[in-house]
Amino acid sequence: MQITRLFAFLLMVLEWTRPGLSSPLRPICDLRVVDHFIKEAWDAEAALRACKDACSIATNFTVPLTRVDFDVWAAMNIEEQAQEVQSGIHVLNDAISSLQASNQTDVLQSHIDASINNIASIRQVLRSLSIPEYVPPTNVGEDKEMQKVSSISELFQVHINFLRGKVRLLVASAPVCHQGVS
Amino acid sequence: MTKMRSNRLKIVFMLCLGFVTIGGQHFESKVAQLLQDETEHIKCFVEGKDLTCFWEEEEERNHLHNQYTFTYSYENKNKMACAVSSLSLLASNKTIFFCKLAKTPFFATLHLQVLRDGQMLYTRSLNAENILFLDPPRNLTVMSSGKEGQLNVSWLPPQLKYMDDSMIYEVRYAAEGSDLGKVEVIKVSTMLVLFGLESDTRYKVWVRVKPDGVAYKGYWSAWTEPVFGVTPPSDVDPLIVLLVLSIGLILCLLSLTVILSHQKFLLKKLWPDIPTPEHKFPGLFTVYKGDFKEWMSHNNGSMWGRSVHVYTEELPSPLEVLSEVSLTSHGTSQREEMKPAEEDESERSDSGLTDRWRDPPHAHWLMDQLRALQENPESHSQSSLLQSHDTYVTLNQGDIEQQADDVFEETLPLQTLFSSAGTPSLSTSHSDLGSLQQSSGSGRLSSQSSLEYPNHTWPPKGPGYSYMAVADSGVSMDYSPMSSSRIAELGRHRIYTNDYKNEIFPHKWPLSGQYIKSG
Repeated sequence: MQITRLFAFLLMVLEWTRPGLSSPLRPICDLRVVDHFIKEAWDAEAALRACKDACSIATNFTVPLTRVDFDVWAAMNIEEQAQEVQSGIHVLNDAISSLQASNQTDVLQSHIDASINNIASIRQVLRSLSIPEYVPPTNVGEDKEMQKVSSISELFQVHINFLRGKVRLLVASAPVCHQGVS
Repeated sequence: MTKMRSNRLKIVFMLCLGFVTIGGQHFESKVAQLLQDETEHIKCFVEGKDLTCFWEEEEERNHLHNQYTFTYSYENKNKMACAVSSLSLLASNKTIFFCKLAKTPFFATLHLQVLRDGQMLYTRSLNAENILFLDPPRNLTVMSSGKEGQLNVSWLPPQLKYMDDSMIYEVRYAAEGSDLGKVEVIKVSTMLVLFGLESDTRYKVWVRVKPDGVAYKGYWSAWTEPVFGVTPPSDVDPLIVLLVLSIGLILCLLSLTVILSHQKFLLKKLWPDIPTPEHKFPGLFTVYKGDFKEWMSHNNGSMWGRSVHVYTEELPSPLEVLSEVSLTSHGTSQREEMKPAEEDESERSDSGLTDRWRDPPHAHWLMDQLRALQENPESHSQSSLLQSHDTYVTLNQGDIEQQADDVFEETLPLQTLFSSAGTPSLSTSHSDLGSLQQSSGSGRLSSQSSLEYPNHTWPPKGPGYSYMAVADSGVSMDYSPMSSSRIAELGRHRIYTNDYKNEIFPHKWPLSGQYIKSG
């Protein structure tokens, strides 16, 4: 009886600590990996550029801001940059995932699925670079770094711009990739 | 102190002026290029981190720059204005109005508007990261790699942060003086090795750059100023050349030596002499000047002796002549009479003898003797060997013992046959084959195949004649004596040699020159 309790306690402790996740991933510093996802995002954006009226939906999408000022970006530290990127990815993922529920054409559906897979892969890349995970904001109020779009084509434009801009800049300037380089 | 300050200020001013000039040159060239290539009214490009948008002055209108207003907005923000400036292009004699944004937002859609006197003139929406117009690469260098037909080309990318790994380059090269050039495209890397070039040739090289189109897009930059490079000369190792030459020389010398040492042999093989029979006829052409008859008359004996030597396979054997006792009764008178008859007999029995005879005076007597011998069967046994041969020369009759002394006498008819006209001459036996000299009254002789014994009227055995086998090979004749005892016996007797003279050809008769008289 006591052995059983002890055994249950040990399992809880191990589940909590999750020692299996302690092994670090190999950092993916090669920008060609991110470029691969960007190229696929370009294909999706090009396919949906013409789909303005047919692809319009009633509800708006909340999407991250994609604008990058190089001077401002250079002045930010890695944590701020990471927070901006991670939150943006999170929001973008939610917006694109919401399209899966609605009935779309096969071509559009394939692009939606590819984009969701790419976002998941980018998350793995950021994890390999030891980029801090996304922490949802404590205040529920509207995020300043977000915007609204009303069409699927605009959604995918935001998608490609976000990947080319903030995500790529973050991966390029990851401290793990510049260790040992003066 | 003040002097130093002023000097420093001057230096800084000059540097700034230089940079502005260079930038201005780049700016003007970019503007000129976009004026040609860009179809939009508002032509924009990003140089570094600054966005520049310009538009062309309408023809035959002189507007001032303050008449124009340029606004831009992005991400649903309020419109912002940008100061408008004017520029006169000397090359194309055109005037443009332009606006330059210092802090350009990237990765966001910009909405641009041009207003003139408050009226909307042009609009355009674009992303700044898609209209990058880079400066040409810097520090282009072309160097020889040391290998044949190769040149090393290297350069530095334009100074831009965040974009070093997103550039694509184009290298153009051509031989000096040639209009045809080749282009190589290379990504990210800032050096290239050119292959397949001509040796010892001067080449011109240009380079230009453009964003690769994944993260950033834009226009091709202007070409750099050409840089020259010379390819190394063809790689010929002097040692190899020397070795090849020396080996060639050695081979030539060897071949010359071989040719000279075997000159005669080679000449014979390549240019053989026409064979002449001069060596067979010594003195025919030198002494007698081709007169064969004259030569023959002077060179009979030696010629025959020499010619006979040729047929070494046919060894001469002594011709044994045995006479029959029964012939002694005729005496010397018969001897003389028998001479031509026996001559005929020997002549007829020789190989190649024709049947053309001039009947000798004592032919009938001889015929009778032969018939008598034929009737005597005892003598046949001695000539059993003879019967097997095709040709027989019957010279003497059968019984040897009785005719031991008479043989010598009986050889006299043969002697008459074989001796020359006149006295029978004694001569030592010749090892070589003798020749039969035609005696007076004898028949003509010609070369012919073997004489058939059965067809001959002269039987092999006649009274008073021993037998002698004659083997006819067709060309030569081989006389083999009946027994060795006779040879020894005959050795005591005189030996006759007779020359044989043929009208047609001095045939080389393998005749024995020994004519032995046996008693």
